[in-house]
Amino acid sequence: MECVVQGIIEAQHVEALDVLLQGLCEGQREAVKTHEICLKKSLETGTVASELHLLCDLSKRPQIWTVKHIGGAMRGTGAEQLPALVRNIVESKMSNNALRFFYAVGYKMDYELLRDGFAYRFQRAFPITVTVTSVCRLPKQHSIDEATPVTPNIQLVEVTAPATADNFSDVVPAISSFAEHLSPLVNLSKPGSFAGIVSTASTAAASLLSRSDRLEHRV
Amino acid sequence: MGSQSVCLDSRVLHWQPSAGAQVTSQTLVDLFRSIESMNGVRTGRWQITAAQHRPFTRDQAMAIDCAKELLGVAFSEFASKHYFVLRAERMVVEADSSIQAIMEKLQVYRNRLSMVFEGFQYQLGDFQLKAGRAVLSQAENLRGIVLEVEYSPVSSIEKTRQMMQEFVDLWQEAISAQSMSGRISLLEPNFAEYALSDTYTWQHTALQYIFLFAYFLSQSQRA
Repeated sequence: MECVVQGIIEAQHVEALDVLLQGLCEGQREAVKTHEICLKKSLETGTVASELHLLCDLSKRPQIWTVKHIGGAMRGTGAEQLPALVRNIVESKMSNNALRFFYAVGYKMDYELLRDGFAYRFQRAFPITVTVTSVCRLPKQHSIDEATPVTPNIQLVEVTAPATADNFSDVVPAISSFAEHLSPLVNLSKPGSFAGIVSTASTAAASLLSRSDRLEHRV
Repeated sequence: MGSQSVCLDSRVLHWQPSAGAQVTSQTLVDLFRSIESMNGVRTGRWQITAAQHRPFTRDQAMAIDCAKELLGVAFSEFASKHYFVLRAERMVVEADSSIQAIMEKLQVYRNRLSMVFEGFQYQLGDFQLKAGRAVLSQAENLRGIVLEVEYSPVSSIEKTRQMMQEFVDLWQEAISAQSMSGRISLLEPNFAEYALSDTYTWQHTALQYIFLFAYFLSQSQRA
């Protein structure tokens, strides 16, 4: 299982968000460059209850392939009232012939994209990951080098944490509480409940960056 | 792919009885004795499971274009990984063991049958030997006897080929001294055909066990 909140931020404020995250997460920053291939069955009819994604981590050598099965979101009145999405998820690393394997067992590519940006991973009560990425389209199949942002001025912010059936009710408040720290720059909410950009983000960003400059000069 | 359990260069062999002879539990006991006669020291048990899956088609009209057979292998000594082999496509895939949960959710294949290889392992100088029986899960009758020879110092298949052959010849002599009716036999897959390199990996071992699994199944169908 995992708990997720998402939001969008204007590209001009990403630097300020990076500064804020450095302070909150004590500097455990990583590059993110992930080729994501969404797969579907060759003969898919009706709505698809689950998603199958093949991810290639291009930031590492050798590249690491992971398959991710994203199940349906938790349902019910209780789930609807939660401030974060809770969904079933199973992941497995695979050898680099993963795509050929899924083609052979009856899947085909639905769409693909490149996520380019950075992430912070840190431990509070639970391990939390924040990713800030530009979502890019590939003009031709697998043309990573020609990727261009779908929305050049907007980037996606995601906060996720692994959870189990026993502890998700504790993980959700932990994510929400962390999301509050980012609220001067980005509104984070359940995927699908679009909260828009923060109108006062410019002011917050300017303040963060000037504070960061002053700290650097002192050092 | 994360931490790797140590993979030794390995040859997976089987016991080929002479014409008219049967493979029995006594054959396996005699093979254990042959190893002990060479001063092999028993170090523990081992188990490997191989499974055959077929497409899960509720409605023939909805049959999707996919491989007609999916074979899987899991090793008790490297339980964090799972291996798939698609023979027609000449493919060996390595994945975390969680891939089984994913395949279960996808409901594209269903398990048709499984075979368990299990027995004792021995240390003999630089060689590690496994000897054991092959049985279909939920059944007791013996489908065959598997013998595996692993060699630690190098992992290039070509370099160890002669070393392995010399060892197997010695083992065959020890077996002949016990007047057993049969011989050690090798089914060697063409690793290059499956895009596997000359450096030995768990994928090479997985492919050998799949070949042996298919061989034992075909033998029982002929009987």
